[in-house]
Order: sequence, then C-alpha cells, then structure tokens
Amino acid sequence: MAYETSEFRNGLKVEIEGNPYSIVYFQFVKPGKGTAFTRTKLKNLLTGAVIERTYRTGEILAEADVEEQPMQFLYEQQGTYTFMNTESYEQVEIPGNVLGDDKVFLMENLEVSVLFYKSRAVNVTLPNFIESKVAWTEPAVKGNTSNNITKAAKLECGAELQVPIFIKEGDLLKVDTREGGAYVSRL
Amino acid sequence: MRALREALWAQGFIELEPPVLVRGPALEANLEPVRAGDAYLHTSPEFALKRALAAGLPRIFAIVPCFRGEEHGAHHGAEFTMLELYLSNANYLDLIDVVEGLVGQAASAVGVTTPTFRRVTVAQLFGGDIPENDDDFYRQWVERIDPALAAPTWVLDYPSRQAALAEIRGPVAERLELYMGGLELGNGFSELGDGEELRARFAESAGQRVRMGREPHPVDEGVIEATSRLPRCAGIAIGVDRLVMALTGARDIRDVRVPR
Repeated sequence: MAYETSEFRNGLKVEIEGNPYSIVYFQFVKPGKGTAFTRTKLKNLLTGAVIERTYRTGEILAEADVEEQPMQFLYEQQGTYTFMNTESYEQVEIPGNVLGDDKVFLMENLEVSVLFYKSRAVNVTLPNFIESKVAWTEPAVKGNTSNNITKAAKLECGAELQVPIFIKEGDLLKVDTREGGAYVSRL
Repeated sequence: MRALREALWAQGFIELEPPVLVRGPALEANLEPVRAGDAYLHTSPEFALKRALAAGLPRIFAIVPCFRGEEHGAHHGAEFTMLELYLSNANYLDLIDVVEGLVGQAASAVGVTTPTFRRVTVAQLFGGDIPENDDDFYRQWVERIDPALAAPTWVLDYPSRQAALAEIRGPVAERLELYMGGLELGNGFSELGDGEELRARFAESAGQRVRMGREPHPVDEGVIEATSRLPRCAGIAIGVDRLVMALTGARDIRDVRVPR
C-alpha cells in the first residue's frame, strides 16, 4: 500500500527513510500561478520527534508496516517485560529500553497499547491515568496546612512523585502517566 | 461585499457581469478548470473583462463566482468569489493604492483596524538568489518564504518566466501579489498588450500541460485579439473569501461561505 498526497489524512501511518511516521497535520497549498504542494507535520513513531515535510501533489509515501495491539502487562524478569495480547492471548517480551521511564507505572494486569513496526514492538502507550497505593511517604509536618506544600512519595507500582501533605501510606491515588507521574487525586 | 462595491462605484468603476461558461478557461499551466458540457466554467473573469477593456471601458470590475478543479482545503474551495478590477492608463504599482483603499473600506465595514502594508520584491525574499527552475522556486516558496509572509505584504516583480499575463521588463514581470494574514489574497499585473506574445505564452503553457500529462487549455482567440487592442492598463484579482478570512481571522474558507 502507498498513499498519494490527496489521500493524506491525520493519523495515517507512513514510512519515510526507514522510519514509521504518523501524519499529525496536513494542508494543501498552492502558491500563486505555481505548482501545488501538501505541507505536513509528521510524528516519528519510534522517537516521538515531529518533523515538517512538504510534498508535491502526486508524490507518494509508502504505508508504514505498523500495527497497534491491546495488551496486558504480566511480569518483568531481568529487565525484560512480558505482555499478553488481550484478544489472542499471545505473549511478547519487550526490552526495558522500549518502555523508557514509563516502566515505573507497570503493574500486573495493566492494559496498554503496544505498537509493532515490522512485527517488532517499538512503543508502549500507557493509559493516561493509573491507580496505585502509596507504599512510602514522609509523615505530615504538624502545623503546616498550606495547600501548596508537597512531599515525596513512592507508589507500589514503583513510581516516585510529589503528593499533597495530607496523603498517607496506604492511600489509593490517581496518577497522570503523561507528565512523568503527576498526582491527580486521592480515591 | 457592499463596502467593496460602494468603494469601487465611488471611484468611477463600472461593474460588469462576465459570462461564467467559457470556451477558453485559462492560460496558466497549473490551473485546473472544471468542465461543463462542451465548455468550461471560468477560472477567473480575466478574458471577458479584457474584451470590455479593449472595447473602451477604462475602469471596470466584476465580483463573480470562479471555479477550480484542483484539490481543495482550508484555503481552496472548488467555488470561490473573486473580485477582479482593471484600471486604464496605469501600471501594476497603481493598483496598490486602489486595493489598499478597498481593504481599508472592507476593514472598517467589519470593524477591524485598517492594515498597513509593506512592499518587498521576490528577489529580496530569496535574498538575491532566485532559484533557476520553477520546481525549486515553488518548493522554497512553500517551505520557507510563504510561512514568513504573515504581515500584510505586497510582493513585487516575479521572474519573467512566471509572468502569466503580465508585461515583462528586463528580468522581471510587472506582477504583484498581496499577502495578508498568511493568505495569498490577490495577483495583479501590468497587463500584457501584445497579442502575438500572448499566443506564444499559450503555446508554452500547452507544452507544459502536455509534459504534465494534462490536456492543454483551449486557446481563446478573442482574448488574443483583444490583448492587441488594450490600452496601457493594470488589473488585479482578489479572493473575496480569503479577504474576509484575513479580516476576521477565520481559518477555513468554508467558514466564510454559505454552505452548499
């Protein structure tokens, strides 16, 4: 499969110079009396970097061999993370470097989306929010009631973050995974 | 629309209603006309208005729907409204005052401040180094130059090979374009007054169309004949939808038109 400029849509997965990209923006432009172009912004699915490219009308981009699968985290062993496809029950091992800083949020049975490029897992997308209990936090400082004061805490999943002063060990917290672990609320 | 018409009437322009169904739809190789039976819908009223100029009307304009069979997007509709005007005994630089006056009238009609325009030549935009071939020219235009044209700007003096229907003076065509709000609003010329030169440009365009694998535009013999009889004159076409977008900040041409 390949796509011509007139078929460009947001979210289309294309291959450029051996890398998979997703189209995040496209616009048809035609300078006065000139030839037509499509201006695009493309997100590299491996690195997340966004590039800008301009294509002449009629130019063709190859479809990227990518597939997204719903998966569940099972366990970690020696830096390798095992996930299971929730539809086919097929298991796949993903090296820790693919997960990057996200691995601190992994808990047994957490449902994630795994992106495969040429049958190789290249990216794991976590849910935007996870819930985890506080495994450790500093005791509250008595007399300090300001809402702006935070303290360090560590969750059972492994993530470390700043929480409000009233949070106690054993509290169940809702955490935003997109900002490297931001406290949202106590449940 | 009313502000534009009243401003033109006040300056002695006569409004014409040119035919929309035409035999010769365009000159430029990169324009894609829409077929209508054995004729075409016009891509601009230029050829018809030139017949009227040649017949002796000195200041004329038309506000008409025009049609393009190209790809469409936020800045390009299949059908759009064009204001085209012609001034006799004038060159392309004389268009600037008239159009700035019109934009000012339109701006006060919608309650925004009248913009001030800067002037820059194509050579200045390219830093003195204009690409030799059109492919490089347009690619750099789209990637580098057009995105920097956010402020209201007159772009002057295009390379002679991009003259379209403009008079050529040395290496440059007496052609200008108006940019506002990052949109290309209009294109104007010192109008070519040589019918045989126009015939040669039709032939060149037909050659380009064939190389592009497209059908050449039929030659409009009437406009070739009229061109030879034109007084010294200048004309400009302005996209009314885009002018409204630039004045109101609308980002999609469909937001400023009645839905179809």
